[in-house]
Amino acid sequence: MSAPTPANPSSPAHPTKVNVRVLRQDGPGQPAYWERHQVDYEENMNVISVLQKIAAQAQTVDGKKVAPVAWECGCLEEVCGSCTMVINGRVRQSCSALVDSLLAENATEIELRPMEKYPVIRDLVVDRSRLFHALKRLQAWVPVDTYGHLGPGPRINRPQQEEMYPLSKCMSCGCCMDACPQYQKIELQRRPGESDEQYQRRKEAAYEQGFVGAAPISQVVLFNSHPTGKSIADGRLDALTETGGIQVCGNAQNCVAVCPKDIPLTKSIARAGRAATLHSIKRFLEK
Amino acid sequence: MNGPNSSFFLRHEFLIRRLHSLSGLIPVGAYMVVHLLVNSTLINGAGAFQTNVHKIHALGKFLLPVEWAFIFLPIIFHAVVGVWIIRSGQSNHSQYRFTANWRYTLQRWTGVIAIVFIFTHVFHLHGWFHAQWWLENVAQPLGMAQFRPYNAASTLAQGMQNYGWPPFYLVGILACVYHFANGLWTMGITWGLWVSPAGQRRATLACAVVGLLLFGVGLTALVATQVTDPEEARGVEDRMYESEDGDR
Ligand code: HEM
Ligand code: SF4
Ligand code: SF4
Ligand code: FES
Repeated sequence: MSAPTPANPSSPAHPTKVNVRVLRQDGPGQPAYWERHQVDYEENMNVISVLQKIAAQAQTVDGKKVAPVAWECGCLEEVCGSCTMVINGRVRQSCSALVDSLLAENATEIELRPMEKYPVIRDLVVDRSRLFHALKRLQAWVPVDTYGHLGPGPRINRPQQEEMYPLSKCMSCGCCMDACPQYQKIELQRRPGESDEQYQRRKEAAYEQGFVGAAPISQVVLFNSHPTGKSIADGRLDALTETGGIQVCGNAQNCVAVCPKDIPLTKSIARAGRAATLHSIKRFLEK
Repeated sequence: MNGPNSSFFLRHEFLIRRLHSLSGLIPVGAYMVVHLLVNSTLINGAGAFQTNVHKIHALGKFLLPVEWAFIFLPIIFHAVVGVWIIRSGQSNHSQYRFTANWRYTLQRWTGVIAIVFIFTHVFHLHGWFHAQWWLENVAQPLGMAQFRPYNAASTLAQGMQNYGWPPFYLVGILACVYHFANGLWTMGITWGLWVSPAGQRRATLACAVVGLLLFGVGLTALVATQVTDPEEARGVEDRMYESEDGDR
């Protein structure tokens, strides 16, 4: 009997160094610039471990001392969405982006950019508050206004569960919006002398006009099919047909192609589109 | 939220986008299908085509209002809103090379081609305006306003003799047919007719079949303008005209 081959044999083809090109930005409204870094290759690296090395070195490939590249992460297992960035031209999570497969895509270097549709705070860290604002706009929750024990909720049968579960996997990472040709960046500059509250209000007013995006539309479908969530279904559909609502979608279907959770977003969009049309006719007749 | 400060368009965005979607099929798309079908009858000879054109022109004084209400205004509405929609998007097919994303981009390009094509096409054969001074001093000297409904086949064949026109019409027909067929597909999602990914894939096939058939019809019409001999067609039309006179 021959010896079992190791699952992941180390191959001499593996590089010793990994080149990384990072699009940096020192702060909101500052110019963006590319910077080249190089780190030692290790087996089974992901982009987070590359970024850790880059931060520890704090120097470019030419030996120039620089401030560490800033990025965000949380769960390290693709469930929080905070580490999302544009890697080799495609938006995805850096914790689940493995260096070996990235090098298979492009052997010369790995390219890291911040998400394209959200304002950059610093380097690879972006402000995704618009996404959370959209969830608030659409009341993407189950309304239960008490801390008291209400007993068991209504039963959700198996077929319903199977429809709902995939939608509930959304981690609000923003990939689906970042790749959407109908979702445009909204970035405001803080005015001199503006208070936090004033700036926040101005930002929210701007978000109200923008497209809500695929993930929040899908959450409307989820909560409008929930037995308790349903109680405010009309309000969600009202919000979904206002400025920046579902009508902005142009069916490019990039959202579903990039969603790391394989959420059937275009199915949600079709379901929500039908519900929104029927709802607006109902509203018109009620007037 | 529908704030008081947003533009008229943004405040009524949902309604306008739904009407735009609907107008693509009814009446604009439906008109295009009928238009291509009628034109393709030219392949059966000048007589068959003239008979169909007669049927349309039998509307007489009603023809103009019907044309404006069901053809020109809806196309203008669809085109104006279409341009607004195009401007609201930012194509990224070079970065995200998915088929559906290409279709999205092509839907926009073919929309723009359709505007240029339709305006030129109407100028070429119809002349845009009926005013005599316009036709005599502008349109006809430019080689436009070629079509005469009572000499349908001969004037059409004559007008299509220049080498530039057939390729121009080929591109125009191709763009309009793609735009219509792919538009049917997006429309089915917009209105929630095909919902599941599998349903959307089947719908893609069905829309492709519709598109190919329609392109065949359009191509037939284009080929017919090239194989029709204007002199011969003129003879057929004159004989039809005389026999009609004799009937009266
Ligand atoms: C031959 C004439 C035309 C026909 C038959 C036609 C038909 C259609 C159809 C059926 C749709 C699908 C609607 C939907 O997705 O809900 C559509 C969409 C569209 N049309 Fe047209 N159209 C024509 C001309 C034009 C023109 C001149 C423009 C302007 C550039 C235009 C721009 C658009 C755009 C941008 C969309 C996408 C709308 C969206 O994704 O929501 N179309 N068209
Ligand atoms: S299907 Fe709609 S939401 Fe999804 S990427 Fe396309 S335009 Fe955006
Ligand atoms: S739907 Fe998918 S891509 Fe969009 S935010 Fe949720 S998990 Fe991310
Ligand atoms: S760190 Fe949570 S998804 Fe990557």
